[in-house]
Amino acid sequence: MLAFGLVLIPWIGLGLFLLPKGWVKAGAVVLAGVEVLLFARALLAPMPSSLAVVNWNWIPSLGVHFHLSLDGLALFLVGLASVVTLAAVLASPNKQGPAYYFWILLAESTAIGVFTALDLVAFYVFWEVVLVPVFFLLGGWAAGPARRTALKWLIMNLFGSLFMLIGVVAMGVVHAQETGHLTFQLASLAHTTLVPQVAPWVFLSFLVAFIIKAPLWPLHGWMPPAYSDAPAPVTAVISGVLSKLGVFAMVRVLVPLFHAEMAQAEPWLMALAAVGLVYGAELALRQKDVKMVAAYGSLSHMAMMALGIFTLTQAGLVGATFYMVAHGVMLGGLFLLLGWYEERTGSRALTMLGGLNQSVPKLTAWFQIFALATLGLPGLAGFAGEYMIFQGLIQNNITVAAVAGVILVLAAWYMLRLFQGAMQGPRATGRSPADLTTAQVGLIGALGLLVVVLGIWPAGVTSHLPVLAPPATHALAHASHRKGGEPA
Amino acid sequence: MMHFLEPEIIAAVGVLATLVAAMLASSRSTVPYWFGLVFSAAALARASMLHLSTHLYGGAVLGDSYSIVVTVFTLLAVMAGLLLAWDPDKYGAEFPALLQLAGLGAMVMGFAGNLILLFLGLELLSLPLYVLAASRRTPLGGEAGLKYLLMGAFSSGILLFGAALLYGGTGSMTFVNFTAVHVVPGLMAAGLGFLLVGLLFKLAIVPFHMWVPDVYEGSPTPVAAFMAFGTKVGAAAALLRVLAFGFSLSAAWWGLMLGYLAVLTMIAGNMVALPQRDLKRLLAWSGVGNAGYVLVGIASHNLLGAQAALFYLLPYGLAILLAFTVVRVLEGREESPVTLASLKGLAYRQPWLAVGFLVAMLSLAGIPLTAGFIGKFYLVRGAIAADQWGVAVGLVVATIVGLAVYFRPVQQMFAPGDGASGRFTVGTGVVLAAAALGTLFIGIYPEPVLHAVIQSARFTWLH
Repeated sequence: MLAFGLVLIPWIGLGLFLLPKGWVKAGAVVLAGVEVLLFARALLAPMPSSLAVVNWNWIPSLGVHFHLSLDGLALFLVGLASVVTLAAVLASPNKQGPAYYFWILLAESTAIGVFTALDLVAFYVFWEVVLVPVFFLLGGWAAGPARRTALKWLIMNLFGSLFMLIGVVAMGVVHAQETGHLTFQLASLAHTTLVPQVAPWVFLSFLVAFIIKAPLWPLHGWMPPAYSDAPAPVTAVISGVLSKLGVFAMVRVLVPLFHAEMAQAEPWLMALAAVGLVYGAELALRQKDVKMVAAYGSLSHMAMMALGIFTLTQAGLVGATFYMVAHGVMLGGLFLLLGWYEERTGSRALTMLGGLNQSVPKLTAWFQIFALATLGLPGLAGFAGEYMIFQGLIQNNITVAAVAGVILVLAAWYMLRLFQGAMQGPRATGRSPADLTTAQVGLIGALGLLVVVLGIWPAGVTSHLPVLAPPATHALAHASHRKGGEPA
Repeated sequence: MMHFLEPEIIAAVGVLATLVAAMLASSRSTVPYWFGLVFSAAALARASMLHLSTHLYGGAVLGDSYSIVVTVFTLLAVMAGLLLAWDPDKYGAEFPALLQLAGLGAMVMGFAGNLILLFLGLELLSLPLYVLAASRRTPLGGEAGLKYLLMGAFSSGILLFGAALLYGGTGSMTFVNFTAVHVVPGLMAAGLGFLLVGLLFKLAIVPFHMWVPDVYEGSPTPVAAFMAFGTKVGAAAALLRVLAFGFSLSAAWWGLMLGYLAVLTMIAGNMVALPQRDLKRLLAWSGVGNAGYVLVGIASHNLLGAQAALFYLLPYGLAILLAFTVVRVLEGREESPVTLASLKGLAYRQPWLAVGFLVAMLSLAGIPLTAGFIGKFYLVRGAIAADQWGVAVGLVVATIVGLAVYFRPVQQMFAPGDGASGRFTVGTGVVLAAAALGTLFIGIYPEPVLHAVIQSARFTWLH
């Protein structure tokens, strides 16, 4: 029930339309706060499964179950969604109307739905519904050519997910033909074997949808305009929470359902992610807009998570999952800071600014912490995730590990360039903007605390994660496949 | 023995009663409208209580839950049309009787088990609509009426020719006898081909769709709403019945052919809808595309496909009724054309109307938690179970195009600007609320409707 409650409560946000104008934000904060409390309840006390799981026979005629579970894999991503949403709601300007808050809450609800769904159709429903609130957040309130940005987001994402619909239905139909039992439960579908002519296409339909949603190179076309046009809290939600949907789905759906296909395609997948890693970092280095540095940096980080997943090793998968949580908190905070930065300076151009550390010391300090966490400083959240991913990479493919190592240096470079350009050096303008308010310091301080906690105690998360790697027998088959020989 | 036809009998009595009422009452009275609504509601209530399967006259009249579902859908369309047209000053006293008569035609097509009844139903559906289409006394209205009449008469002729060939080939008029009797393949194939052309014309399948945009644009909006839902229900029901009962053994070739036509229709319909500026024309082209979706289910030539086609008619019908209701409210009494630009700022001027329109567009686009998603899901399942992967991919491609079609008006609605606004009447309010709630209900909890449809489609697949 708790999982269902987490999905349901944001819908109460419809009531925001009835509140008087001054109370709308307070109402949204309450709802987002309740979500965080529910997560805390799930985290702190061990629960009987009846509380953590709902499994209703939703549409018996189609074999669809409404199966949500707060399992170890989902738990911390749900937490990430609730925390980042609360932070985004708190950081939103007071003038926003009820629709804005409702769409943010709805994005949270559907993201939690994707994280907790264990039935493929329920998963697909949340996966697609999440597009609607973001479409409105991008198109309704953002600046400039926002309408085209919103339409691009929608059409690119639905392009992927509609082909995935064929894959979803095909999994169910093939399973029904094999067993005579129509179901879309992930646990049952994991034992379905597709015929060799169909399997690669179904796998591809899922993979492309996940790559677009993440986004990973080369299907990241919607990302730059969306991150650039959206207001800072919305960017924080998209990059902090929603970008995790794609990589999370790889762990949740691809690894159990298609590990044979993944192992077969592993060199290609690795190459794809490695190119994305280099591409994102390279573009982040060239950006002149502070928000775009972080956006392309994020593209590179997503590729890092994908690399971890594609290793198909326990270390890589755990590392990627941990990195999703850490990255969400870091990037959420970073984009909020950049939003405040833009608010104060009126500009996002890297070259125009500089020397802000003299006038806004608090903003500079927090910015530095988040920048260092993002580039993977040991002791902060980013490092632990990257370390585990490296462990998986070295077990699996030493060449890609070497490439990733070089990229870590680049990552340090572009983040420090961002920090230096914006904050240090001679003052570019004569104005002296106001520093962060106490409320803003409190908000970013809470996120900063999380970054530190995750950095020094990653086991708090990783010990909850289940065994994610495919069973050993499969791993053996993969190994022999990679060497090109027959299993011994 | 006849009691399974009671809904149709109630509807037929209703037509006569409404006609008499129209003659006796003054021309400004709403009494005929009330008669039409009450008799349709009574027929609907009676139909929803029936649970049986029987046939009369050696399979000429098929009373089963399939025909009940068709009757229910048709009556919903009739009632929605009446409520949208609730303005005797404007539409006249004879409007309700004509609309009910057309609905009766669609119901006859639902229980028709032989070619005579099929043709009877088709003509009963078409003739009142020729009159209704031309009832706007403007050049556009005249164009619509004339175009519909000429094209419709032409297609009826083709259908009749096909029926004659089939009779010549088999010596029988009844669908179930077609497969059993020794056949002359060439004659049968030609007969079936002509028959299909006639029915596909009514369903507005590419390349027999050219009349649709002009007729919808020129017809009064309530009539266009009925044509978009009721006519397609009748045509799809008859198509499914004749193919399943009469030609299930030759499904391999007509399934393939209809599959190609379905893909062509879905993609072409949605592609041409994309640049439309007039909302009624956009909905007309979307109706063409959606007819293609229905055809996907028929082309799957299996039980799942039949269920999916029958089910999809309802989400589509509700969504298109919803959209036409919005047009009806915005165009006002003077029926000024509603363009995409007149939607500008609607979300701030008339939020409830905007919510209704949003639900319609989300459902037509096939976003989950609306009825349209369940419909598309089911259609894809039917196509994959029939091993028609290409049709499934075509459906997905058309849906991607459809997204751009349906989200452009939505963006207009939220864009700042001054567009049209109009006043609700009780009738439009009821249709808006009922169709929107129905769409969301079926999207969130489709089981009751799915169950009823699955029960009914079982009877279509005898072999």
